[in-house]
Amino acid sequence: MKLHYYPGCTLKEKTTNLDESTYAAMKMLGYELVEPENWTCCGAEFPLNEEKIVGLAAPARILRQVEMEGGDKVVTACAFCFNVLKQTHIALLNDPLKQKRINAYLKDDIRIDPVTKERTTDFPEYRGDVQVLHLLEFIQKEIGYEKVRSLIRRDLGNLRAAPYYGCRLLRPKGETGIDEPDDPSIFEEFLESIGIGVVDFPFKQECCGSYLSVSLPDAASEVSYRILRSAKLNGADMVVLSCPLCYYNLDRRQDRIREKFLEFTGMPVLFFTQILAWALGVEAEILGLDQHFFDPRPVLGITDKAEVAS
Amino acid sequence: MFEPQIMCFLCKWCTYAGADLAGTSRMKYDPSGINLRVMCSSRIDLQHILYAFRQGADGVFIGGCHPGDCHYVEGNYKTLRRSILFAKMLEDLGISRKRFRLEWISAAEGRKFVQAMNDFTAQIAELGPLNLDKMTLNNQKDFSHE
Amino acid sequence: MNGNGKKKRIGVFVCHCGVNIAGVVDVERVAKALEGYSGVSFSTHYIYMCSEPGQNMILETIREEKLDSIIVAACSPTLHEKTFQSVIELAGLNPYQVEIANIREQDSWVHSDKEKATLKAIKIVKSMVEKVLQNESLEPIRVGVTRRALVIGAGISGIQSALDIADHGYEVLLVEKNPSIGGHMIQLSETFPTLDCSQCIMTPKMVEASRHPNIRILTYHEVESISGYVGNFKVKIRKKPRFVDPDKCTMCADCEDVCPQIVSDEFNMGLSFRKAIYLPFPQAVPGTYTLDIENCLGLLPIRCGKCKEVCEPDAINYDDQETVFEEEVGAVVVSTGYDLYDLNHLGEFGGEKYEDVINGLEFERILSASGPTGGEVRRPSDGKVPKNVVFIQCCGSRDPENHNPYCSKICCMYTSKHAMLYKHHVPDGNATVFYIDVRTGGKNFEEFYQRTIDEDQVLYVRGKVSKVYKEGDKIIVWGVDTLTGRKIEMEADLVVLAMSMVQTDGVNELLKKLRISSDANGWLSEAHPKLRPVESLNAGFYLAGCAHGPKDIPETVSQASAAVAKVGDLFAQEQLLHEPTVVPVDEDLCSGCGICVTICPYSARELDKEKGVVKVNEVLCEGCGACAAACPSGAAQQRNQTDDQIFSMVRAILRG
Repeated sequence: MKLHYYPGCTLKEKTTNLDESTYAAMKMLGYELVEPENWTCCGAEFPLNEEKIVGLAAPARILRQVEMEGGDKVVTACAFCFNVLKQTHIALLNDPLKQKRINAYLKDDIRIDPVTKERTTDFPEYRGDVQVLHLLEFIQKEIGYEKVRSLIRRDLGNLRAAPYYGCRLLRPKGETGIDEPDDPSIFEEFLESIGIGVVDFPFKQECCGSYLSVSLPDAASEVSYRILRSAKLNGADMVVLSCPLCYYNLDRRQDRIREKFLEFTGMPVLFFTQILAWALGVEAEILGLDQHFFDPRPVLGITDKAEVAS
Repeated sequence: MFEPQIMCFLCKWCTYAGADLAGTSRMKYDPSGINLRVMCSSRIDLQHILYAFRQGADGVFIGGCHPGDCHYVEGNYKTLRRSILFAKMLEDLGISRKRFRLEWISAAEGRKFVQAMNDFTAQIAELGPLNLDKMTLNNQKDFSHE
Repeated sequence: MNGNGKKKRIGVFVCHCGVNIAGVVDVERVAKALEGYSGVSFSTHYIYMCSEPGQNMILETIREEKLDSIIVAACSPTLHEKTFQSVIELAGLNPYQVEIANIREQDSWVHSDKEKATLKAIKIVKSMVEKVLQNESLEPIRVGVTRRALVIGAGISGIQSALDIADHGYEVLLVEKNPSIGGHMIQLSETFPTLDCSQCIMTPKMVEASRHPNIRILTYHEVESISGYVGNFKVKIRKKPRFVDPDKCTMCADCEDVCPQIVSDEFNMGLSFRKAIYLPFPQAVPGTYTLDIENCLGLLPIRCGKCKEVCEPDAINYDDQETVFEEEVGAVVVSTGYDLYDLNHLGEFGGEKYEDVINGLEFERILSASGPTGGEVRRPSDGKVPKNVVFIQCCGSRDPENHNPYCSKICCMYTSKHAMLYKHHVPDGNATVFYIDVRTGGKNFEEFYQRTIDEDQVLYVRGKVSKVYKEGDKIIVWGVDTLTGRKIEMEADLVVLAMSMVQTDGVNELLKKLRISSDANGWLSEAHPKLRPVESLNAGFYLAGCAHGPKDIPETVSQASAAVAKVGDLFAQEQLLHEPTVVPVDEDLCSGCGICVTICPYSARELDKEKGVVKVNEVLCEGCGACAAACPSGAAQQRNQTDDQIFSMVRAILRG
């Protein structure tokens, strides 16, 4: 079955492991992912300035492209892209004037083919009919945990994973979030369905430090450390997440965390699609497990020494 | 000089008592309005208002209790909802919506009643006579929308 | 013309009120102008109509001129309408045949132009003539009263209401859904601001209620429905099977000893256990065991039957049935109390995940001498004495975005009491209270709160708590001190949440059936927020206690007694007299559209589906006339304020 999938820039650059594992996992679940043609950056942050709506043009253009290709929904694996696209969808849905103003931009689009230099104009308006779903939601609502359970090929029953939501999947509260921000359970349900042990830990919605890792790296590594420590205290073998920025803070910055907190011994951090694909029987090489700072392969029982870095 | 005729429907519990208070306080106001006491402002129906205009009123005034203070719980909300419709229908009939006014005036607001009367009378005086009783609708000056 | 087609003979009496009217209005001219006006057969003026000679003049004129209705043009009807109604009654006329033309407050006192004021007076008087021309003679609507009251809910408000009604000499049915009366108050340890032991002051009241000859206590009963109207209600009451005969039960506890089923104890807020056959608490009234069928292994003796075997007085009856019966009452006091907001709404505090994060009522049980810990402060998870206790106020209150917008009113005081009592039990412990504001509006409340800080060294931190979670053995509390602007992270052994008070589960459905209105937050609405605070808008229903909104014990008791005073007003009447200026239905004109039914705030109108017309319960109609305005066919006409009357008055005012 074909399904529109918006990967977002980071998944093609820094976290190809998230992109590739998404393709692999969805293939096992029977879906062929289709990226909307000529997709651009989603904007990375939903513009909060009510007057300056031009920031909505990029995400609206992506949704319009899906609509032009006959799609009625688009899934994302990146929590950030999901948040921007979903908020844009809601903003346009609830405000016809805003939709009209955005369409004024979109209809003047000009696309120039890089090879033939052919110009395309006369783009249609965005009607607002594209549903934005995070892959966790898509699995819950459209695939169903029963189906996932039936396709599991690897037994992960001896492992315990701590689901880490971060902020973008849950907030703002209400229409945008995929679950209750204060008491979510969708990630836990997902992990249960793939047969891995689930760890409940109190820091699952706390901030990872976000962009503070650029401006105040010490502050960021402190909050990241607390999350990892809490997961470990509660018996987790790994942390599972969906956001590239959280991944950066929780995995890539473990070097800094180790320098600061000597007792910290490290913790594998995996994207939810990696663990899903692994459970579904996808070979390890495809999942980009070698890109992680803290190598998750030993905990998964992948023992090819040659492949394992420090 | 044009002396307007104003028909005032006042609710017994608030605005009529407010008008009484203006009296006991010996405040003075324009005598163009004459009051008719009803139990609740929600007793007033569009036909009463149209009838008043047809009988020569240049303006119609309804006074009720403040929101939340209605003796009958929510009669004033009903009046409020209806009055939005009243004003629209009056416009459609070629009568300026400025000739119709709804005010919340409590039993303690004698001064507010006086101000409302003076203000509304001045407004009607400015609009001039409606003469709905004497004229056909075709040559109505008021017929044009403002 | 009057209703009989007979021409009316109307008398007009214009009052000078000294110079109050006559100084501005030419009263003679007014009287003259009315001579011969439609239906007016006599018109005069006099210096003081309300004086005795004035009244006598009216009386004599009515007799001499054979008048059948009169207009008194004088001051506002709020002053002397009643006076002149009695005058014409003396002359043998119906009081609805007098109308007052207000030419003082709304004419002579507010205008100085004599000519204009006089013309205005003439118009005002003419409009009243037009009204009285079409006035019907009316008699008040009379209904009998059943002098017997129903009280729903037997917490402190219900018990107080029942006792007061009973002391007034009337019979009371006190219905309680639980096996014992007592409500939440009997669960409390000590009460603010005096620290009286709650059970010590509550138990005598419960016993008094049980012994009062005028009170019939119906515990383990629920009200199914109420029909009828003020003074004449029919109540359907459902008796839940208790399977134990209260008259035979001696409370020996033999049954409890052999019962194999252990379940969580509601009275102790789940902090201890009880058996499936149980006494809710030692002072329960009535003093009887109850078999909780939900948790019983089954009534077939073959499955268990142990309790029946050991019951010496043979009080246990497995054949007990649910029954519904009907009672007649004249007044209903709704005192159904409150519930606490569900902790599951507060995910950031762990919901119900952590055993040592508890609500205020649970802490009351822990503090109580008769509680699950025998009066020692021990935490639920491991029974340790908590050395650091954090109290969080406004949990679910004052948070319109996420929870309830209102203030639960009693939490500031009970949290202060909790912290104080904790310090009395554990003097070396630390008590910290997080608050938004501390509201101590009440007699001796502020002093009590100050004592908590000064003498008991409770630390008050102004700020909200964002997160409560467990790390190992400790509970971690994240909050903020908004006075210093610092983030706070502290360890606690026990966290007590001042949960918001909410309307009792299921009560709103009952109320919908009773047609009592409630506000946006589910609390029952009073008839008037200032002037009729204990009556419901539905005549015959009275409100007491927290069902009407959060309140403390003294306020609840005051409201209960006030409600009973109103019940007394009702019962003191021979017959109920109801204003007859209601809005009946002309069945020939009614199309049965039902618009008036939805408009009526008193549920006085009902669609008769068989006949296709609306029926009016005139006793319930308060005569606002909103339905008359809404009726598209003119079938709903307010008595003595019909559309025709309004039209005639308008015409007189504008053309007169």
